[in-house]
Amino acid sequence: MVDGLKLGDRVFSSRLLLGTGKFSSADAMIRAVRASGAELVTVALRRFHPGRPVDDLLAPLAAIEGLTLVPNTSGARDAKEAVRAAQLGRELCGSPFVKLEIHPNPHHLLPDPIETFEAAKILVREGFLVLPYMPADPVLAKRLEEIGCAAVMPLGAAIGSGQGLTTMSMLKLIIRDATVPVIVDAGLRSPSEAALTMEIGGDAVLVNSAIAAAEDPELMASAFAAAVRAGRDAWKAGLMPPSDVAEATSPLTAFLADGESE
Amino acid sequence: MDLVVNGEPYRHNGQATISELLRECQAEAGRTAVMVNGDIVRKSAFDTVRLSDGDRVELIVITAGG
Repeated sequence: MVDGLKLGDRVFSSRLLLGTGKFSSADAMIRAVRASGAELVTVALRRFHPGRPVDDLLAPLAAIEGLTLVPNTSGARDAKEAVRAAQLGRELCGSPFVKLEIHPNPHHLLPDPIETFEAAKILVREGFLVLPYMPADPVLAKRLEEIGCAAVMPLGAAIGSGQGLTTMSMLKLIIRDATVPVIVDAGLRSPSEAALTMEIGGDAVLVNSAIAAAEDPELMASAFAAAVRAGRDAWKAGLMPPSDVAEATSPLTAFLADGESE
Repeated sequence: MDLVVNGEPYRHNGQATISELLRECQAEAGRTAVMVNGDIVRKSAFDTVRLSDGDRVELIVITAGG
Protein backbone atom coordinates (compact mmCIF):
# COMPACT_ATOMS: atom_id res chain seq x y z
CA MET A 1 0.00 0.00 0.00
CA VAL A 2 1.33 3.42 -0.98
CA ASP A 3 1.78 6.06 1.73
CA GLY A 4 -0.15 4.11 4.34
CA LEU A 5 -0.61 4.99 7.99
CA LYS A 6 1.22 2.21 9.83
CA LEU A 7 0.02 1.43 13.34
CA GLY A 8 1.71 -1.61 14.80
CA ASP A 9 1.44 -4.30 12.15
CA ARG A 10 -1.58 -2.69 10.50
CA VAL A 11 -1.55 -0.29 7.56
CA PHE A 12 -4.40 2.08 6.72
CA SER A 13 -4.90 4.22 3.63
CA SER A 14 -7.01 6.87 5.38
CA ARG A 15 -5.33 9.36 7.68
CA LEU A 16 -8.60 10.63 9.13
CA LEU A 17 -9.83 8.84 12.23
CA LEU A 18 -13.38 9.50 13.35
CA GLY A 19 -15.07 9.57 16.73
CA THR A 20 -18.67 8.40 16.85
CA GLY A 21 -19.94 10.53 19.76
CA LYS A 22 -22.30 13.53 19.77
CA PHE A 23 -24.09 12.76 16.50
CA SER A 24 -27.79 13.57 16.42
CA SER A 25 -28.59 9.99 15.42
CA ALA A 26 -26.91 6.71 14.61
CA ASP A 27 -27.92 7.21 10.99
CA ALA A 28 -26.19 10.61 10.83
CA MET A 29 -23.08 9.05 12.36
CA ILE A 30 -23.00 6.18 9.87
CA ARG A 31 -23.40 8.56 6.91
CA ALA A 32 -20.54 10.68 8.25
CA VAL A 33 -18.30 7.64 8.71
CA ARG A 34 -18.94 6.62 5.13
CA ALA A 35 -18.30 10.14 3.81
CA SER A 36 -15.09 10.44 5.81
CA GLY A 37 -13.52 7.34 4.34
CA ALA A 38 -12.19 6.62 7.83
CA GLU A 39 -10.93 3.12 8.49
CA LEU A 40 -10.53 3.59 12.23
CA VAL A 41 -13.44 4.81 14.33
CA THR A 42 -13.61 5.15 18.08
CA VAL A 43 -16.40 3.86 20.28
CA ALA A 44 -17.00 4.04 24.03
CA LEU A 45 -18.33 1.74 26.73
CA ARG A 46 -21.37 2.14 28.96
CA ARG A 47 -23.36 0.08 31.39
CA PHE A 48 -26.21 -1.99 29.96
CA HIS A 49 -29.53 -0.95 31.41
CA PRO A 50 -32.20 -3.67 31.49
CA GLY A 51 -35.17 -2.51 29.47
CA ARG A 52 -33.25 0.18 27.64
CA PRO A 53 -32.34 -0.73 24.07
CA VAL A 54 -28.67 -1.16 23.24
CA ASP A 55 -27.37 1.47 20.79
CA ASP A 56 -27.30 -0.44 17.57
CA LEU A 57 -23.86 0.70 16.49
CA LEU A 58 -22.01 -2.51 15.92
CA ALA A 59 -24.17 -3.89 13.13
CA PRO A 60 -24.17 -0.78 10.88
CA LEU A 61 -20.48 -0.13 11.56
CA ALA A 62 -19.65 -3.75 10.80
CA ALA A 63 -21.45 -3.35 7.47
CA ILE A 64 -18.89 -0.75 6.37
CA GLU A 65 -16.11 -2.59 4.64
CA GLY A 66 -12.61 -2.18 6.00
CA LEU A 67 -13.61 -0.49 9.25
CA THR A 68 -11.71 -1.20 12.47
CA LEU A 69 -13.22 -0.22 15.81
CA VAL A 70 -11.06 1.50 18.40
CA PRO A 71 -12.68 1.28 21.82
CA ASN A 72 -11.71 4.12 24.12
CA THR A 73 -11.23 4.16 27.88
CA SER A 74 -13.21 7.34 28.43
CA GLY A 75 -14.53 7.56 31.97
CA ALA A 76 -11.42 5.95 33.45
CA ARG A 77 -9.94 8.11 36.21
CA ASP A 78 -6.69 6.20 36.70
CA ALA A 79 -4.51 3.54 35.11
CA LYS A 80 -6.26 0.64 36.81
CA GLU A 81 -9.67 1.69 35.51
CA ALA A 82 -8.26 2.35 32.05
CA VAL A 83 -6.71 -1.11 31.82
CA ARG A 84 -10.01 -2.67 32.81
CA ALA A 85 -11.88 -0.56 30.25
CA ALA A 86 -9.40 -1.57 27.55
CA GLN A 87 -9.87 -5.23 28.37
CA LEU A 88 -13.66 -4.85 28.24
CA GLY A 89 -13.37 -3.00 24.93
CA ARG A 90 -11.32 -5.83 23.49
CA GLU A 91 -13.96 -8.34 24.63
CA LEU A 92 -16.67 -6.33 22.88
CA CYS A 93 -14.90 -5.23 19.69
CA GLY A 94 -12.32 -7.91 19.13
CA SER A 95 -9.95 -5.11 18.12
CA PRO A 96 -6.29 -4.95 19.11
CA PHE A 97 -6.49 -1.14 19.27
CA VAL A 98 -7.32 0.93 22.30
CA LYS A 99 -7.60 4.68 22.49
CA LEU A 100 -6.16 5.20 25.93
CA GLU A 101 -7.68 8.26 27.55
CA ILE A 102 -7.58 9.11 31.22
CA HIS A 103 -8.99 12.52 32.02
CA PRO A 104 -10.10 12.74 35.63
CA ASN A 105 -11.27 16.35 35.58
CA PRO A 106 -14.60 16.73 33.75
CA HIS A 107 -14.17 20.50 33.54
CA HIS A 108 -11.23 20.48 31.14
CA LEU A 109 -10.89 16.77 30.26
CA LEU A 110 -7.13 17.14 29.99
CA PRO A 111 -5.28 13.81 30.05
CA ASP A 112 -3.45 12.65 33.16
CA PRO A 113 0.11 12.03 31.89
CA ILE A 114 1.23 9.88 34.83
CA GLU A 115 -1.72 7.50 34.82
CA THR A 116 -1.66 7.39 31.01
CA PHE A 117 1.99 6.34 31.04
CA GLU A 118 1.39 3.66 33.68
CA ALA A 119 -1.64 2.25 31.84
CA ALA A 120 0.20 2.28 28.51
CA LYS A 121 3.03 0.16 29.95
CA ILE A 122 0.55 -2.50 31.09
CA LEU A 123 -1.53 -2.47 27.91
CA VAL A 124 1.51 -2.74 25.63
CA ARG A 125 2.64 -5.77 27.66
CA GLU A 126 -0.83 -7.27 27.19
CA GLY A 127 -0.50 -6.98 23.41
CA PHE A 128 -2.71 -3.98 22.76
CA LEU A 129 -1.94 -1.50 20.00
CA VAL A 130 -2.07 1.50 22.28
CA LEU A 131 -3.08 4.91 20.95
CA PRO A 132 -2.64 7.25 23.91
CA TYR A 133 -4.48 10.57 24.07
CA MET A 134 -1.95 12.84 25.70
CA PRO A 135 -0.94 16.41 26.46
CA ALA A 136 1.15 17.97 23.69
CA ASP A 137 4.34 17.26 25.61
CA PRO A 138 7.38 16.20 23.54
CA VAL A 139 9.03 14.48 26.52
CA LEU A 140 5.98 12.39 27.32
CA ALA A 141 5.53 11.58 23.62
CA LYS A 142 9.05 10.17 23.52
CA ARG A 143 8.47 8.14 26.69
CA LEU A 144 5.22 6.68 25.34
CA GLU A 145 6.97 5.84 22.09
CA GLU A 146 9.85 4.14 23.95
CA ILE A 147 7.54 1.80 25.87
CA GLY A 148 5.92 0.59 22.66
CA CYS A 149 2.81 2.65 21.95
CA ALA A 150 1.67 2.27 18.34
CA ALA A 151 1.25 6.03 17.98
CA VAL A 152 1.01 9.15 20.10
CA MET A 153 -2.08 11.33 20.09
CA PRO A 154 -1.31 14.81 21.38
CA LEU A 155 -4.18 17.23 21.75
CA GLY A 156 -4.65 20.33 19.63
CA ALA A 157 -6.94 21.85 22.25
CA ALA A 158 -9.37 20.63 24.92
CA ILE A 159 -11.81 17.92 23.84
CA GLY A 160 -14.84 19.32 22.07
CA SER A 161 -13.63 22.92 22.43
CA GLY A 162 -13.08 23.67 18.76
CA GLN A 163 -10.21 25.96 19.69
CA GLY A 164 -7.97 24.52 16.99
CA LEU A 165 -4.23 24.01 17.08
CA THR A 166 -3.44 25.87 20.30
CA THR A 167 -0.48 23.57 20.91
CA MET A 168 1.14 24.12 17.51
CA SER A 169 4.70 24.80 18.70
CA MET A 170 4.72 21.64 20.86
CA LEU A 171 3.13 19.58 18.09
CA LYS A 172 6.00 20.57 15.79
CA LEU A 173 8.54 19.36 18.34
CA ILE A 174 6.68 16.08 18.83
CA ILE A 175 6.43 15.50 15.07
CA ARG A 176 10.10 16.34 14.51
CA ASP A 177 11.34 13.71 16.95
CA ALA A 178 8.69 10.99 16.66
CA THR A 179 9.42 7.56 15.22
CA VAL A 180 5.81 6.41 15.62
CA PRO A 181 2.86 8.11 13.92
CA VAL A 182 1.62 11.36 15.47
CA ILE A 183 -2.16 11.59 15.40
CA VAL A 184 -3.46 14.98 16.50
CA ASP A 185 -6.57 14.34 18.51
CA ALA A 186 -9.07 16.77 19.98
CA GLY A 187 -9.82 20.44 19.66
CA LEU A 188 -9.95 20.77 15.89
CA ARG A 189 -12.83 22.80 14.46
CA SER A 190 -12.19 23.26 10.77
CA PRO A 191 -10.81 21.24 7.86
CA SER A 192 -8.12 23.89 7.35
CA GLU A 193 -6.72 22.98 10.79
CA ALA A 194 -6.62 19.34 9.75
CA ALA A 195 -4.81 20.30 6.56
CA LEU A 196 -2.33 22.40 8.53
CA THR A 197 -1.70 19.47 10.89
CA MET A 198 -0.78 17.34 7.91
CA GLU A 199 1.29 20.10 6.28
CA ILE A 200 3.57 20.27 9.32
CA GLY A 201 4.12 16.53 9.11
CA GLY A 202 1.39 15.12 11.32
CA ASP A 203 0.57 11.55 10.33
CA ALA A 204 -3.19 11.67 10.92
CA VAL A 205 -5.95 13.50 12.76
CA LEU A 206 -8.79 12.21 14.90
CA VAL A 207 -11.95 14.28 14.63
CA ASN A 208 -15.31 13.93 16.33
CA SER A 209 -17.07 17.10 17.53
CA ALA A 210 -16.13 19.21 14.50
CA ILE A 211 -18.00 16.76 12.29
CA ALA A 212 -20.78 15.64 14.65
CA ALA A 213 -21.72 19.20 15.63
CA ALA A 214 -21.62 20.59 12.08
CA GLU A 215 -24.89 21.58 10.46
CA ASP A 216 -24.28 18.90 7.84
CA PRO A 217 -22.05 16.22 9.39
CA GLU A 218 -21.87 14.13 6.24
CA LEU A 219 -20.61 17.06 4.16
CA MET A 220 -18.20 18.14 6.90
CA ALA A 221 -16.80 14.60 7.06
CA SER A 222 -16.15 14.78 3.35
CA ALA A 223 -14.52 18.21 3.77
CA PHE A 224 -12.19 16.91 6.50
CA ALA A 225 -11.24 13.93 4.34
CA ALA A 226 -10.32 16.22 1.44
CA ALA A 227 -8.38 18.53 3.77
CA VAL A 228 -6.37 15.67 5.24
CA ARG A 229 -5.49 14.42 1.76
CA ALA A 230 -4.54 17.92 0.60
CA GLY A 231 -2.40 18.56 3.67
CA ARG A 232 -0.66 15.23 3.32
CA ASP A 233 0.07 15.87 -0.36
CA ALA A 234 1.39 19.33 0.51
CA TRP A 235 3.74 17.90 3.12
CA LYS A 236 4.99 15.28 0.65
CA ALA A 237 5.38 17.92 -2.06
CA GLY A 238 7.49 20.10 0.23
CA LEU A 239 6.46 23.67 0.98
CA MET A 240 8.57 26.44 -0.53
CA PRO A 241 10.81 28.27 1.93
CA PRO A 242 9.32 31.55 3.14
CA SER A 243 11.03 34.85 2.38
CA ASP A 244 10.87 38.22 4.11
CA VAL A 245 10.92 40.05 0.79
CA ALA A 246 8.99 39.72 -2.44
CA GLU A 247 10.42 37.51 -5.14
CA ALA A 248 8.92 38.21 -8.55
CA THR A 249 7.14 35.49 -10.45
CA SER A 250 7.09 37.49 -13.71
CA PRO A 251 10.11 38.96 -15.52
CA LEU A 252 10.64 42.58 -14.48
CA THR A 253 11.59 43.84 -17.89
CA ALA A 254 12.04 47.54 -18.45
CA PHE A 255 10.63 47.81 -21.97
CA LEU A 256 7.48 49.72 -20.91
CA ALA A 257 9.46 52.40 -19.16
CA ASP A 258 11.95 52.41 -21.99
CA GLY A 259 9.15 53.06 -24.47
CA GLU A 260 7.90 56.08 -22.55
CA SER A 261 11.37 57.59 -22.30
CA GLU A 262 11.93 57.60 -26.04
CA MET B 1 -30.28 -14.99 44.72
CA ASP B 2 -29.56 -11.34 45.43
CA LEU B 3 -26.99 -9.74 43.16
CA VAL B 4 -25.80 -6.20 42.56
CA VAL B 5 -26.08 -5.56 38.82
CA ASN B 6 -24.58 -2.32 37.53
CA GLY B 7 -24.62 -0.92 41.04
CA GLU B 8 -28.30 -1.69 41.69
CA PRO B 9 -29.78 -4.50 43.82
CA TYR B 10 -31.10 -7.26 41.56
CA ARG B 11 -33.09 -10.37 42.47
CA HIS B 12 -32.08 -13.15 40.11
CA ASN B 13 -34.49 -16.07 39.92
CA GLY B 14 -33.00 -18.25 37.20
CA GLN B 15 -30.03 -20.57 37.11
CA ALA B 16 -26.86 -19.10 38.47
CA THR B 17 -24.91 -18.72 35.23
CA ILE B 18 -23.92 -15.58 33.37
CA SER B 19 -25.85 -16.74 30.31
CA GLU B 20 -29.03 -17.12 32.33
CA LEU B 21 -28.62 -13.69 33.93
CA LEU B 22 -28.09 -12.12 30.49
CA ARG B 23 -31.24 -13.83 29.21
CA GLU B 24 -33.22 -12.59 32.20
CA CYS B 25 -31.94 -9.04 31.69
CA GLN B 26 -32.57 -9.31 27.93
CA ALA B 27 -28.94 -8.50 27.24
CA GLU B 28 -27.44 -10.04 24.12
CA ALA B 29 -24.49 -12.24 25.03
CA GLY B 30 -22.71 -11.34 21.79
CA ARG B 31 -22.86 -7.63 22.54
CA THR B 32 -22.25 -7.62 26.28
CA ALA B 33 -19.05 -7.77 28.30
CA VAL B 34 -19.33 -9.02 31.86
CA MET B 35 -17.40 -8.43 35.05
CA VAL B 36 -18.07 -10.30 38.27
CA ASN B 37 -16.59 -8.78 41.43
CA GLY B 38 -14.17 -6.81 39.27
CA ASP B 39 -12.96 -9.73 37.14
CA ILE B 40 -13.78 -9.95 33.45
CA VAL B 41 -15.55 -13.14 32.44
CA ARG B 42 -14.70 -14.30 28.93
CA LYS B 43 -17.62 -15.04 26.62
CA SER B 44 -16.59 -18.68 26.42
CA ALA B 45 -17.25 -18.99 30.15
CA PHE B 46 -20.73 -17.44 30.22
CA ASP B 47 -22.35 -20.89 30.45
CA THR B 48 -20.06 -22.24 33.13
CA VAL B 49 -19.21 -19.45 35.59
CA ARG B 50 -21.56 -19.73 38.58
CA LEU B 51 -22.89 -16.65 40.33
CA SER B 52 -23.22 -16.47 44.09
CA ASP B 53 -25.38 -14.47 46.44
CA GLY B 54 -23.99 -10.96 46.84
CA ASP B 55 -21.92 -10.98 43.63
CA ARG B 56 -21.38 -7.60 42.02
CA VAL B 57 -21.99 -7.90 38.29
CA GLU B 58 -21.27 -5.29 35.64
CA LEU B 59 -22.85 -5.60 32.19
CA ILE B 60 -21.06 -3.40 29.65
CA VAL B 61 -21.98 -2.57 26.06
CA ILE B 62 -20.61 -0.44 23.25
CA THR B 63 -21.90 3.07 22.75
CA ALA B 64 -20.93 6.06 20.64
CA GLY B 65 -17.86 7.96 21.75
CA GLY B 66 -14.90 9.95 20.55
